[in-house]
Amino acid sequence: MTSIVLQTQGITKRYGPLTAVKDLSLAVHEGEVFGLLGPNGAGKTTSINMLCGLLRPDAGQVSIRGKVITNGDAGVRSRVGVCPQEIVLWKTLTCVEQMQFLGELYGLKAAYVRQRSERLLRDLDLEEKRNALARTLSGGMQRRLNLAMALVHDPEILVLDEPEAGLDPQSRVLVREYVKSLARRKTIILTTHNMDEADRMADRIAILDHGQLLALDTPEALKRTVGEGDVLEIELQNDASEQARAALAPIVRDVSAANRALLIRARGVVDLLPAILAALSTAGARTGEVRLRANSLEDVFIAFTGRRLRE
Amino acid sequence: MRMLIVFRKTMREILRDKWMLGLTLAFAPFFVFLYWLWFQGGSTVYPVAVINQDQGVTLPDGSVYNAGEQVSAAIQAVTYSDGRPLLKVIEAPDQAAAEPLLRDRKATAFLQIPPDFSQTILALQSGDRSVTTTLTFGGDLSNTYYMIGANLALTTADAYVQQATGQKPLVNYVERPLGASATRSEFETYVPGTLIFSIIMLIFLAAMTVAREIETGALRRLQLTPMTSFDLLGGITLALLLVGALASMLSFLVALALGFHSQGPVWIAVVVSVIASLSVIGLGLVVASLTRSVSQAFVVANFPMALMMFFSGVIFPMPAMTLFTIGGRSISPYDILPPTHAVVALNKILTLGAGLNDVAYELTALVSLSVLYFLFGVWLFRRMHLRSA
Repeated sequence: MTSIVLQTQGITKRYGPLTAVKDLSLAVHEGEVFGLLGPNGAGKTTSINMLCGLLRPDAGQVSIRGKVITNGDAGVRSRVGVCPQEIVLWKTLTCVEQMQFLGELYGLKAAYVRQRSERLLRDLDLEEKRNALARTLSGGMQRRLNLAMALVHDPEILVLDEPEAGLDPQSRVLVREYVKSLARRKTIILTTHNMDEADRMADRIAILDHGQLLALDTPEALKRTVGEGDVLEIELQNDASEQARAALAPIVRDVSAANRALLIRARGVVDLLPAILAALSTAGARTGEVRLRANSLEDVFIAFTGRRLRE
Repeated sequence: MRMLIVFRKTMREILRDKWMLGLTLAFAPFFVFLYWLWFQGGSTVYPVAVINQDQGVTLPDGSVYNAGEQVSAAIQAVTYSDGRPLLKVIEAPDQAAAEPLLRDRKATAFLQIPPDFSQTILALQSGDRSVTTTLTFGGDLSNTYYMIGANLALTTADAYVQQATGQKPLVNYVERPLGASATRSEFETYVPGTLIFSIIMLIFLAAMTVAREIETGALRRLQLTPMTSFDLLGGITLALLLVGALASMLSFLVALALGFHSQGPVWIAVVVSVIASLSVIGLGLVVASLTRSVSQAFVVANFPMALMMFFSGVIFPMPAMTLFTIGGRSISPYDILPPTHAVVALNKILTLGAGLNDVAYELTALVSLSVLYFLFGVWLFRRMHLRSA
């Protein structure tokens, strides 16, 4: 059994009347990729800031390897590397200079930082830009350098906030592969809106909303909570969703309707397709496009957090 | 050690921001140069409109004696100690002609000489003390140059009357200038204040450099390192101090090249400038602590900048206002502004030839303010931006 690297116990953070995070308890294991999902304003960033010691919880505590970090112990905070969603670079420093600057601030020897910087730049395909000023790099390069900066001091825990945001497809693959290569060697906490990204990368996923933990499990287990099997989406060309649901009740159990579309979850749904279409036709529902897909994390996300738009 | 790492990084950033660096370094030397151009390397010439209505007197030998013309010539002949003109006569036929000159500030004052002026002078020469005449003067009293122009013109006319009539002065006045002040050109008297400009401008650079770390989110990244706010602000302060020292030295060099002569040791003036820079940078840190972006820092920094410009005696002397006294020295509200002490110290050194001991009080005040503002800046920065950590 792997040991717990990072643990929160009932952490709460309030901003005036708003409770951004409420009684959050998590345990992140060594070497796992831990996904933190939630809509905008769910409390992800506040939670992350508390996890890495940038924000003091109003209640509860955060510990890294059993050592509480709410006392502002910089030594403990140094174990965390954060790659923020925003690009945080010193625009008039070269790639190497800013990594050197940050590494030396962590108390690392200049020669070691130089060596490590070169390696990170090589791994993230920035070697040729080592002496280029950050402001001259393309957006994708800046994002990759942003990631390299989080790793310069070889942290035990890496926090990635939307790591694939703003990346072109090539850079996205590079970063994804690189993060995967770090998994098991480092503990990774990943926040994202991209469900595919979370599904592909995370070992376990926590879903937050309104500052509260709604679910925590492996992606597969979470998907099982919203239904077994595949999802069939059928567009309706007339307003006959109620009749359609009634007509399908004897064939499939899990039918929901939204925005003139039917969502049908069932095992072996392909075999049931002729019977489903016949029943809809009998019920007077005119069908449009029919799509078949596997049950996704997005279904889980919507099931837990709802369809209501957030700010 | 971490402070030096921040210092190195800040120096790199400053050196690569060539526009900002150039403006900061060139600001005060540029003003020194402008003042030199303005005064043509010397001092102000005060134009006086002379309305000479004196009709003169034909003497027995057939020559014409016109005392009004002689007063006018005497006014034109008034010079600074280096021979440069101090007053300039603009002739006007009557008051109606003089008024536009005064309104347009082409003349600082007017002096009207009456038609019977020569006749009266001759009568006084002959011992007739029953006669008198009236010289009229005036001008735009809201013109700051009026007092000087009018006073000098009247003094000159009075001296002429005494000399022409053989009248002994009732009281003799002897002027004793302080230090080498009598030999200073007006350009030279403005140099200390101009040097303070370069120091005051550092408040923008300091506030904006720190605010950039906040605005870009770099501060969050730095917070994860073992670096303290003291390291961060100390490193930035060291870098800015170097820029401040360089700006001061450049200003001195430009002033010296344009004919400025220091009466005291220049190195003490540089020390004063550097310590004053430190306290202004401290104020910049306070400003940065209260802001979250570079543009905010720029706007907020204007307030202390204006206070330092207008309420520290850099541009004009401040009226006495004593809050309390310490060791016989009165402390005024202006004393919390670093340039107040810097301008006094620089004047003492550069104009009056003062040494280190003579400016000990000002240096002590500047060091105290520097420490105070820096520590307050660090405390406020920690409270406003790092408290949550």
